[in-house]
Amino acid sequence: MKKRVVSLALSVAMAASLTAGMAVNVSAATDEFAGEELSILVSAGWMDNRYDQTIARFEETYDVTVDLQTIPADQYIDMLMSKLMTDSCTDIFWIQSNPFAIESVIVDPETYCLDFTGAEWEAKIPEVRLAACKYNDKLYGMQIWHNSPEYVMLYNKTLFEENGWEVPTTYEELKTLCAAIYETGITPWFMPGADGWQHQLAFFQIGGVYEEAAPGLYEALNNNEATFADNAKMLEVLEQFKEFSDLGYFGEDWIGTDSTNMANEFADRNCAMAVCNSSYIKQIQDETETTDEFGLFIEPLGDNTWFPSSPAGPTMFGYNKTEHPELVKEFFNFVASTESLQEILDNSPAYTNLHVNDDALEQHWLPEEEAFMATIAEEKMAVSVLQNGTKYTNDYWMNFGQDMVSYCLGEMEANDVLINMDTNRAEAAKIAGDANWE
Amino acid sequence: MNKKKIYPQWFLILPLALYVIFFLLPSLLGVGYSFTDWNSRSVLTGVNFVGLDNYMAIITSNKGYLSGLGNTLMFTIVSNIVKLIPALLIAIMLQEGLRGKGFYRTILYLPSIIPFVIIGIIFRSVLKYDGGLLNTFFEVIGLDIMKMKWLSDLNVVWKSIIGVDAWRGIGYVMTIFLAGLNTIPKSYYEAAQIDGANFWHRLRFITLPMLTGSIMINLVFGITYGLKVFDIVYVLTNGGPGHATEVLTTYAFQLYSKGQYGMSSALNTILLIITAIVGVFIVKTLGKQEVQQ
Repeated sequence: MKKRVVSLALSVAMAASLTAGMAVNVSAATDEFAGEELSILVSAGWMDNRYDQTIARFEETYDVTVDLQTIPADQYIDMLMSKLMTDSCTDIFWIQSNPFAIESVIVDPETYCLDFTGAEWEAKIPEVRLAACKYNDKLYGMQIWHNSPEYVMLYNKTLFEENGWEVPTTYEELKTLCAAIYETGITPWFMPGADGWQHQLAFFQIGGVYEEAAPGLYEALNNNEATFADNAKMLEVLEQFKEFSDLGYFGEDWIGTDSTNMANEFADRNCAMAVCNSSYIKQIQDETETTDEFGLFIEPLGDNTWFPSSPAGPTMFGYNKTEHPELVKEFFNFVASTESLQEILDNSPAYTNLHVNDDALEQHWLPEEEAFMATIAEEKMAVSVLQNGTKYTNDYWMNFGQDMVSYCLGEMEANDVLINMDTNRAEAAKIAGDANWE
Repeated sequence: MNKKKIYPQWFLILPLALYVIFFLLPSLLGVGYSFTDWNSRSVLTGVNFVGLDNYMAIITSNKGYLSGLGNTLMFTIVSNIVKLIPALLIAIMLQEGLRGKGFYRTILYLPSIIPFVIIGIIFRSVLKYDGGLLNTFFEVIGLDIMKMKWLSDLNVVWKSIIGVDAWRGIGYVMTIFLAGLNTIPKSYYEAAQIDGANFWHRLRFITLPMLTGSIMINLVFGITYGLKVFDIVYVLTNGGPGHATEVLTTYAFQLYSKGQYGMSSALNTILLIITAIVGVFIVKTLGKQEVQQ
């Protein structure tokens, strides 16, 4: 009996000392960074409120402050580049990454990016997304993004049903539909041109149609054996876009309209369609009191039938010259935890899922998304969107958007828009020392 | 030591050194870099001398650099006219005993202390086509015809930018004019009035000649500001719609942010040369007039 008491007492003492030891360890780990400040530079729309809860918990856990610097989308990349090149970047920065972006946007990842190779969170990133996070087999970025249909046509299903409008599958059907919608005083296709980054989606998200029209185009573009200029399909799509602009199908002032009020425009039935993420349906329903139902279809400019596959998205990087490299690494670990991922998903009305390898995560797929995906044939998902399937294209996203506006205003020709893209890509390739452009 | 001099010459050393290190040297370096291929990969490849290649690329490019130069010059001229004349008239009005002079002076000066970013946010909202304050106001008072696409119509957008710039800058220009007006002896006006001079005579023969110094300061400030204009364009239109409001500095900023530092430096050097020529010309011309008076 005495032995039992002694052994019990010893066990309790051991457990207590272990617990105390653990407490000390956690405390030491968190105290290590006490009082430090972690700065993050991000474009509007990439973190928003969805990270607030996680950041607050991080601040509390590590006794640090996080300085979140959110920059308007049209100014972000200029701001980031200036900060990187002048060695004044924040501890963490974001880019819109794809398999070519680390090389072409950051240019010199070894100088500017913290190397996370071997980090445990790598296993959470799906294989298809890792290409946008790695360069020369080194892990630099963390891409936590959703896997919903990205930037397809979202439409007011109830409105369509009430008016007997059918979902279009060809350009001509779309044009006829827009004319019918326009007649009712509703903006057929809401186009937020003032954002500077949205209207290009109509051109780039249908990459499959360009590849279909000229098989091998992507590879040829990446090898500098083809050009955007004089591409018949691209010219056709640009001309169709301008035609819609001229006919007023994008709204009276699409060039000066931004997307801040888009959800209300849908809810108030001021517009019938827009290029959106599928999760935007949830956002409209959450933010407004509409009882309308919404659906999705493939954008039919250029008679497109391809799904916009895109293993790309906003990606978080650590700045190599940060004064707090360990704190940055802790932040990445913290964000990759199931608890944080769940917070990020739950706090974002724009997300219905996160594309991560984490079975413990509770996803919120929409029935509309599932219904839409069921209509897409597997082979129609095989081609990536143009901006992420071809080198240096996404880097000039904003410039292309400006050129599209100039074209719609009659200040440029359609082919000049494409020529400018070729010129810009060539300049980027030259800077990157791309052998294909030498 | 020359006793007429209040301070010894070595007092100049520190400010001169600061000026040379932080202003002159970087400017000269910038000019030097404009003859190189300095870019974001130069860390790996080194910076190489390319002669006038960057300048030739700017001249022969189809990217609209020349229209950017044209826009810069147009903005410089128009924005100065739009600011200087009203500012002078307001200054004279305030000087001539308007009631609540101090109040008006403060109100007019206030916009010039508001940061450009705030001005951008405010005016982008005010000038929005749908639901913007200005267009809503016109709708309410039944002047729908005045509704315009203030920031997206090619025929209106520059007027909007220059209007907002004038709103911000008139108070500052007016303050310099007021300082100049205060130095003109009242007896000149009294004598002129006794001789029967009306307002325009007094303006033509007393005010303007005596204000040459203030006019010169405002012109030099206004023209150098106009030539290097960036903020107001960036926050209101970012060069748009399309490329309609691009100026030299927005192009230089774009090139720099794309890692083409050599090209960006070349554009800035062109701007520097134009600014220097125009600045020296104004100072010399108006300086001569001042001496003659």
